[in-house]
Parts: sequence; structure tokens; C-alpha cells
Amino acid sequence: MIEGRKILGSVGLGILAVFVIVAVLAPYIAPYNPHQMSRPMEHPSSRHLLGTNDIGNDILSEIIYGTRVSLFIAFVVSAISMLVGTSLGLIAGYFDKLGFVIMRVVDIFLTIPRLPLIIVIAASMRPSIWNLIAIFLIFGWTMTARIIRSEVLTLRSRYYIDATKMIGGSDCYILWRHILPNVIPLVVVQFIMEAIHVIFTEAGLSFLGLGDPVARSWGMVLHYAFECPIIYVSDVWMWWMLPPGLCIVLTVLGLTFVGYALEETLDPKLKSPAYGRGL
Amino acid sequence: MTLLEISDLKTHFPTQSGIVRAVDTIDLSIRERETFGLIGETGCGKTVLGLTLMRLLHPTTTVEGTIRYRGKNLLTISEAEMRLIRGEEIAMILQNPTTSLNPVMRVGEQIAEAIRLHQGLRRRAAKEKAVEMLDSVRIPAASRRANEYPHEFSGGMKQRAMIAMGLACDPALIIADEPTKGLDVTIKAQITELIKETAKEKAMLLITHDLGVARALCDRIALMYAGELVEYAATEEIFENPLHPYTRGFLGSLPGNGLVPIPGMSPSLIDLPDGCRFHPRCSHAKAVCRKKHPELIEVEAGHFVRCFDA
Amino acid sequence: MHQINKLVYYFAILLIILSINFFLPRVMPGDPLSYLSDPGADMPARMTEEKRELLLEYYGLDKPISEQYISYMVGIIHGDLGWSIYYGAPVLEVILGRLKWTLLLVGTSTAIHVPLGILLGATSAWARGKKKDTGLLISILSISSFPSFFLGILLVIFFGIKLDLFPINGAQTAFATYSSPFGKIFDILHHLVLPATTLVISHIGGTYLLMRNSMLGVLGEDYIMTARAKGLSEQYILHRHALMNALLPIVTMTAMTVGFLIMGTIFVETVFAYPGIGNLLYNAVLYRDYPLLQGIFLFMTIAIVGANFIADTIYVRLDPRVKNE
Ligand SMILES: Nc1ncnc2c1ncn2[C@@H]1O[C@H](COP(=O)(O)OP(=O)(O)OP(=O)(O)O)[C@@H](O)[C@H]1O
Ligand SMILES: [Mg+2]
Repeated sequence: MIEGRKILGSVGLGILAVFVIVAVLAPYIAPYNPHQMSRPMEHPSSRHLLGTNDIGNDILSEIIYGTRVSLFIAFVVSAISMLVGTSLGLIAGYFDKLGFVIMRVVDIFLTIPRLPLIIVIAASMRPSIWNLIAIFLIFGWTMTARIIRSEVLTLRSRYYIDATKMIGGSDCYILWRHILPNVIPLVVVQFIMEAIHVIFTEAGLSFLGLGDPVARSWGMVLHYAFECPIIYVSDVWMWWMLPPGLCIVLTVLGLTFVGYALEETLDPKLKSPAYGRGL
Repeated sequence: MTLLEISDLKTHFPTQSGIVRAVDTIDLSIRERETFGLIGETGCGKTVLGLTLMRLLHPTTTVEGTIRYRGKNLLTISEAEMRLIRGEEIAMILQNPTTSLNPVMRVGEQIAEAIRLHQGLRRRAAKEKAVEMLDSVRIPAASRRANEYPHEFSGGMKQRAMIAMGLACDPALIIADEPTKGLDVTIKAQITELIKETAKEKAMLLITHDLGVARALCDRIALMYAGELVEYAATEEIFENPLHPYTRGFLGSLPGNGLVPIPGMSPSLIDLPDGCRFHPRCSHAKAVCRKKHPELIEVEAGHFVRCFDA
Repeated sequence: MHQINKLVYYFAILLIILSINFFLPRVMPGDPLSYLSDPGADMPARMTEEKRELLLEYYGLDKPISEQYISYMVGIIHGDLGWSIYYGAPVLEVILGRLKWTLLLVGTSTAIHVPLGILLGATSAWARGKKKDTGLLISILSISSFPSFFLGILLVIFFGIKLDLFPINGAQTAFATYSSPFGKIFDILHHLVLPATTLVISHIGGTYLLMRNSMLGVLGEDYIMTARAKGLSEQYILHRHALMNALLPIVTMTAMTVGFLIMGTIFVETVFAYPGIGNLLYNAVLYRDYPLLQGIFLFMTIAIVGANFIADTIYVRLDPRVKNE
């Protein structure tokens, strides 16, 4: 099992590394500018490895640039969400009264179903990457804040934090020096969870046509393919639908494997054998 | 007549940080109807010893040696045979009744299921027997209480229910793991009394921290330290003539004797000290104690000690 | 006490959702009401002058905001969700017309995926660390990496088009005449297979993982050790002791699952052109039919929050520890 965890984690990291490299080097790898038009609906050939779409863009280039869009949104949203969520979680765990208020807000956010609200908001805004990021951020921080808070509460009850307080350590110092380092592993796992969530939701919104029509993500490529009336008639789906779809699947799979490996390593409850605990 | 004979018993847990030697070469025997006390600091391996006897540890645990119960070696019989022994021949009352009772099952049912299994009684009859058992451990209004859930019981009552559960199939040996822990004085006295009555007819391995309880109940007492026995003898002998410094320290920490705790901490079971395992905390430690591991020797008839000084 | 608190809490949530629904169109820059008040705007759906008047009156934009809010709330209480621009009918009527198909889809999927997820999760936990567990875990994590719409598209291509086993759009054959009621039922079920399968596959991961974790936690509990110490068989312990305890958190989860399934219908019904509420939402987005979009948002949200409330209530009934407090 220990070996299996390591293998899965490495496979996941490998997949993610490939996508990150593609995203960063997109302009050098992509054979065409994704907005450049040539003959529409061309089948794969040596000139267009994955053919062209209904308005003549090179699909391979679209997908390569799409990697940028999808990963960028996921990364920015997850990073900011972790920053906000962790800060609020730390504060909520450390200051009781403020914590109570923050947690009630979190409760409400977690009860309201995310996806319908996100769709309604996205539909009433001009679709753009930045608007999408803003919408995802509304909910992104909530779960992290809750998880971090409960961890802080556990940590707080450990004696050394009280001891520091007695010799006059300031609250900020305690949060920074003693509590933060202990919650970092949790934050990393949460980062991955949030990234998976954002990749999925962004792809979904885009599939419904609510993504950025200019900076097209994988989901948006799929949207245009799905909207094309002859998509199922011939084999067009093979180069227009399969590749962007598989990109989403592989990215999520990579993140899932890394997250799973981390979680197994970190969670002592899952680590111990199924019985024989609590003696 | 010897009921249970343990020889050369080792229980080791392979873990990521190393092998935990929770029980390390234990020899002891329990006679029919005898109450045998096992005493030691927290983490010295008492519960693990009990679970080893019941064969309840995870399959990845390494267990060596022999456990002979009425002629059968419990470590080599099949799992099916072992299941017939659990509950019916040897019962174990686990420590901490609050977590050891299933929270979503009625207390009566938790007792009755063992009766149904081992004595083949029908549901109704088993239920009546369960009520009887609850009544025999002096739970008032037993027939009503049998239909309640564990959280409706007080701490003392949960402990009684655990005892009733252990006695339900009339086993020959009961392993009771800290049955008086966490109870207030009066309740503790009642539970002690209850155990005393039960112990008259059965053999019992009583695991406890509480020397008072041990003195009141046990025929013989063994002291355990870092996975091994360091001294055992008849109860009075232990109290009148303790030979091992650990035993003396333990007796010294009794409220009546001035509450002087033994200095230092018990060693990690992964990384045991060379020589005598107690030497880092022993005020009488000599050069030999640091180098050689002492054997358990019989200093007087029935009085065994693991110390170079004795 | 606990119950009353919950009730108050859910009522507050409801108020918040209604308020979001009220304020969203009014605070969004430009959209979506601009095209109502500006006759020259590029209208996504053809709209007669009369319809426009109706809408403007519904939103009451000329009145002060507090008055608008009150009349909005009163409207909601009377089941008035506004007027769909695209369908030219009251929003509530349009939604209710689609409801049965979504209920059929969500109901079927729940009935399959919850028991299946529980079974697989329990099996996995029971075989903790063995090949069976690892295999199940990796397979389920892998299929959960497929977005439901992509999974649906793949099923359409392979089972609908390549193998031609199942119809790929709609809930029944258009303009069909059936010789017997069974013919109709068969036709409906035939259309249900692919969308329901998509929903089940793409949502099974959540239930499976939760059950596995819950079960792993329970198997480490002391009372499982007590049960073993009584000599009970492993099978019996699994059924009588472990399962019930592990299932408790699943009850709450199942309501959440139903919530996820309702959201999942948005994609699945879109891919299969299944005439339920999810597909309606897609059309509302496509034609920017805001009153309809908001009506569906409200409807779905209330359904999901309602499911959570029911789950909370059931949980209290199941767990003896909570009941007596
Ligand atoms: N499954 C396991 N894996 C690894 N180590 C274990 C396991 N079970 C017990 N141990 C270790 O074995 C040692 C003995 O534990 P045990 O529970 O027997 O102590 P104890 O004497 O019963 O203490 P207490 O008085 O607190 O009940 C402890 O250090 C414990 O951490
Ligand atoms: Mg113990």
C-alpha cells in the first residue's frame, strides 16, 4: 500500500508536469495561432494534426492554448481561495467570537448550492476569464476556512500553545510560528481539492457556453464542438471532442492521484490498520 | 489445576518507525478460579497481552510462543475454533466501556447476541437471559434498561453492562481490562464488590492501575514493565516483601505511602534500553544493570523477580 | 430545541436565496434588465411590445426598491416566478411541465447509485489495503475524473451511435404511437438508460468514498473489538455492528448526493436533450431568458436545500444518541 501510494503520487505529478509545461510553452509548441483561420472542418492531416473547427481554427493549437486558460483559472482561484480560507480559518479558530461569526457565514455559503448560483451569475455577466475567476472565488474559500478552523481548535488544546501564551507570546506570533506550520499540509490537500473542483466547474460552465469565447478553455472547445450540428454524423468527434475531453480527465486524474497520495500520508487514522486502533 | 499457561509469549507490531515490542517474552500461568492481577504503568503492554490471549490483534502483528488453554495451543488452532473460545470459554471486558459498547444497539441486544450465538437460545429466551444478567450485575429495572441505548447509561452502569456481557456465556476465564478506571469512589467500591463475587467461581486476569483494587481482589499479582514481567508473587507477599525497585516505586506512589511517583518515563517500546529495561530510572542501578538483561528468577517459592539485586 | 434551531436556520437560508434572486438582476451591470428597459437593445428572443410591458410590470422597475422587494416576495408566496421570454408562458408553468422527467431521471439514478456506492464502499473498507480495495479505489477515482457531460458524450457515441443500442436524445420517441401501455413504458425506459447511467457513473465516487471512510473509521472503534471478543463471526459483525454505524453519516450525505444529482442533470439532460429542468436551464442560458433562468435557480436551490433539511430530520430519527437530547 505504501508503495502503491508512492507510485500513484508520482504518476499524478508526472501528468501534471506535462500539462504545466504545455501551458507555459504554449506559444512555442502550438503550430498556429488559435485564432488564425484556414479552411473549416478539415480532417486531420500533416498540416493540421487534429484538423480544424467550424470556423477554421487549428484544433490542436486551440487545445494547447486551452491548457493555459484551464490551468490558469484553476491555479489562480485555488491560490487565492487558500490564502483567504486559511487566513479566515486561522482567525476563526483562534478568536472565539469572531470565529463564531465567520463560521455562521461559512455555514450559509455551504448550504447554498454552488453550481446553480454560479450559472446564474455567470449568465448575467459578460463572459471572461476574470469574471469566471471572480465568480469561483465567491465560494472557493469556505470549505478551507472550516477545515483549518477545526484543525486550529485541535492544535490550540495542545499544551505548548498555552505555554507560549503564558510567557507573553503575542497572538500573531503564536499563529505564525506554532499554528500555521501545522496546518500547511492540510492547506496543500485543500488546494488540490479546490483545483479539481474549479477545473470541473469551469469546464461545465464553458460547456454550457458561459466560458470566455476569446480565450477558449478545453470546456469551451467542447462547447463549440457539441453545438456543431454534424458532430456525430462523421468521425469529427474523434479529433474535436475526444482530445479536449481527455485533457480534462487527465488533469483531474493527476490532481486526484497526488491528492490521494498526500492524504494517505497525512491522515494517521487512515494510515493505521483497520482494527487494532484505540487500545 | 492450571487453566491457562503462557510461555515465551512475544507480541510485536511492525510499524513505519520500527518494531513495537509491546509484549516481550512473558511466561505466566493462571490456575482455575484464581484471580491474577496484572499491574503496570500506562503503555507497558497490558491490554496488548489481553488481546493477544484472545487473538484479537491485526493479522500483521507477529505473535510468538505458546498460549495453552486446557491443553489447546490458542495460537495454532483455527480461527473457527478460536471463535468458539471467545466469549464462551474466555471473555474479555475491554477497557473504556463508553467506547466499547455499540452506540446504536440496545444494551440488552448486545448481551443477547452472544447468548444466541454460543448457547443456541432463541431470540426471546436470549433476551430474557440478558435481562437476568443485567439484573445479576445489579442494574435496577433491568428489563426496562435492557431496551435502552448505551448513552442512556451512567458510567458505572456501562461498566456493569460490560461485566454482564462478559459473564453472559459463563466463561471459565475472564480478562477484565481496568474495570474500575474513571469511576468515583462509591461506584468503584460497588464494582469491586461485584467483581469479587464473580471471581469466586471463575478464573480472572485483572488488569489494573489500582493497587487497592488489586489487593482486595487478587490471589497473585504480577508487575509488568516495558513489555515484560518484572516481579510476581502472592498478593500479600508483593505488598509485604516487594523486591523489585519498580514494585517498590509503584507501592510508594500509593496515596497511603506518600504519593511519590517513580521518576522518569517508561522507555519507548521500539527502542528499549540495553541491560535491565528499568535501569535508567532505578536509583540502585549498578554497572551490570546497564549491560546485562536480568532473568526472572524464583527467589522464594512462588516469588519471581527480574533484578540483580534481589 | 435542536429541531427549532434547524428550522430557523433553513428559513434564514431560504430568505437569503430569495434575496439573492431578487437583487442579482438589479445589481448586475447592464444585464439582464437593460434589454427590457431599452427597446433598441439586441434581444435574444423576439419579444412583442405587449410581452415587454408584462415583464416590466413584473419587475416593477419604476417603483422604489423596497416596494419591489415586497411585491416580489408576495409574488413568490403565490407561486409567481415571472414570465419566460423564450417560452412566452409563466415560468412556474414551464418548470412544472418539465419536472416529471427530471424526477424520473434523478429518482432512478439515486435508487441505483446510493446502494451501489454503499456496497462498493463497504466492500472496499472491509478489504482495507488488499488488492480488491486498491483496485476498486483506483477504478472509482479514475471514472470520477470524467466530467459528466464528457462521459455522456462518450456513451452517446459508443452505445448510441456505434452500437446503436439506445436512443440518444429525448425522453420518448417523437410522434410515436404505442400498441400497448407496455410499449410506452419500454420506450421511456429505453430512453432513460444512457442518461441515468451517466449520472450514476459520474456520481458514484462521492458515495463510495464517504462510505469507505466512514466504514474504516467504524472498523477501528472499540465496540467492533468488543463484538469480536464475543466470538461473533466477521460477517455478522459487518452486518449488525459496522454497517449501521457507518451508514449514519451516509444518510446526510445522500441528501447532498441528491443535490449533486439535481445539478448533474444540467449537463446530462443537455447532452441527451432530455426534456427535464436541466435541459430547460441550458436553453434559458442559451437564449438568455433571465426570468426563466432565475426561476430554475430558485426551484433547484430550494429542492436541494429542502433535501438537506429532510436529511437532517431523518438523521435525528436514526441516531439514538441525538434523539434523546
Ligand atoms: N496496533 C498497534 N500498533 C502499534 N503499536 C501498538 C498497537 N497497539 C498497541 N501498541 C503499542 O503497544 C504499547 C502497549 O499498549 P497497551 O495498550 O497494551 O498499554 P497498556 O499497558 O494497556 O496501557 P494503559 O494502561 O494506558 O491501557 C503502547 O506503547 C502502544 O502504543
Ligand atoms: Mg490498556
